[in-house]
Amino acid sequence: MGENIQQVIDKRSAVIKKFKEELIRRLNLPYTPDDLHEDVSLLGSGLGLDSLDALEIVLCIENCFGIKIPDQNTSILRSINTIVDYVLQEQAKKG
Amino acid sequence: MRISPLKDTLKSLGASFEERYGVEVVSRIYDKEKEYHFVRDTAGITDFSHVQKFRVPEETGLDFLDTLLAGNVARIRFGRVLHTFLSDEAGMILADCYVANNDEEFIVLCESITDDAKVREIFTKDASAGVTDITDDHVVIGVDGFKAWSVIKDLFGADILGLPYLSIETYGFDGTDVKLFRAGKTSEFGYQLLAPVSIAEKLFAALCDGAKKVDGGVCSVSIHSDLRLEGRFFNIFGEGAKVKDPLVLGLQYMIDFDKESFCGRDAILARRDAGLKNKIIGISAEKGIDLETGMSIYNGDKEVGKVQSVCFSYTLDATLGLALLDIDVAYSGLSFNLKSAGGPVVNTISMPPIIPKSLSVKLDEI
Repeated sequence: MGENIQQVIDKRSAVIKKFKEELIRRLNLPYTPDDLHEDVSLLGSGLGLDSLDALEIVLCIENCFGIKIPDQNTSILRSINTIVDYVLQEQAKKG
Repeated sequence: MRISPLKDTLKSLGASFEERYGVEVVSRIYDKEKEYHFVRDTAGITDFSHVQKFRVPEETGLDFLDTLLAGNVARIRFGRVLHTFLSDEAGMILADCYVANNDEEFIVLCESITDDAKVREIFTKDASAGVTDITDDHVVIGVDGFKAWSVIKDLFGADILGLPYLSIETYGFDGTDVKLFRAGKTSEFGYQLLAPVSIAEKLFAALCDGAKKVDGGVCSVSIHSDLRLEGRFFNIFGEGAKVKDPLVLGLQYMIDFDKESFCGRDAILARRDAGLKNKIIGISAEKGIDLETGMSIYNGDKEVGKVQSVCFSYTLDATLGLALLDIDVAYSGLSFNLKSAGGPVVNTISMPPIIPKSLSVKLDEI
């Protein structure tokens, strides 16, 4: 495997692991981290979380990564992968 | 082959048809882009009568249903809908199911990838459960789209604006009860209406009139494969029919792993314990690149997966797909090659890649 690809995977999988573990703990989800596909919809369909859960997810991102989700920007919360994209993008900005 | 009670009407609109597992569905009405924009921009009306439909009395059928399906039927609250699946003993998916708790009964709607007659036999085999197969005497009409709520509101009133996703409510139409499922797999607003055949034509006409008011129209079932993929909703007729393993497909959220029994449970739990070897991931290729189902994906000179389904996203002006990749490279944000080590570039992406227009509408504020 190319070194660049492995670096991208390592960086991404670390964020995914931390976020999934915290999400499961905070929302008391009956799943293991491996059970949560990164593309599964978080709100409405998929995991079927509600608006209160959405607040928990926002707090979860803040606590885990020190990153705030802009008010009203719920589109970031579409899936674990879209959240991880945002976290990686904000981490890159911070350097 | 089972045909829709709405076939003559659809034929008069210019529909073409295809067979799916013993049932005829509409494969195209207008050109693909037009149907796509009905849903993404306004409202699309679709005949979903191909689904199998059952009434299950709570008193005699709850245990039967709960031991058949992967989700926890016993925990569905009144007025709510559970999205789950039916698998075979090997834990491979057979049908994608909505199960609604409709007071003292459950209503089940299934899209299956096994023969229509077989699914209906599975649901009705235990006479003591009291399941009624209402497939032949009911239709299911879908209303999906950014303005789908407007079409349904005109028909049933503003009350529908308060319905949460995955819920069921009963409304009257032409003196007959219609079951309205707030559901859908396009990522825009979605409703499915379960109605007796006796009012099917009249209801379909009323919905078409409503859609016309917002510049919408009638869609094929086929366009929903593209809409589901773009919204990253599970499509049993796409990746579901090819992969079949619910764990590889990422459908763990449809399973209650704590249930003592359901069809295929032991096989699914064994595979879960063993760990996944591959996984479904979203992919994207620039417009003009030939991306087709079955193509191999390469990381350097190693084959790491295959394309399982493909669609063109008019919103993104790009080709999207789902690929089954080796677990160690099943991440978004990577670039691979198609067909060979030096082949065209395909990127893994985070799904869903679009932000649906419906996300900008707050129905409770209308």
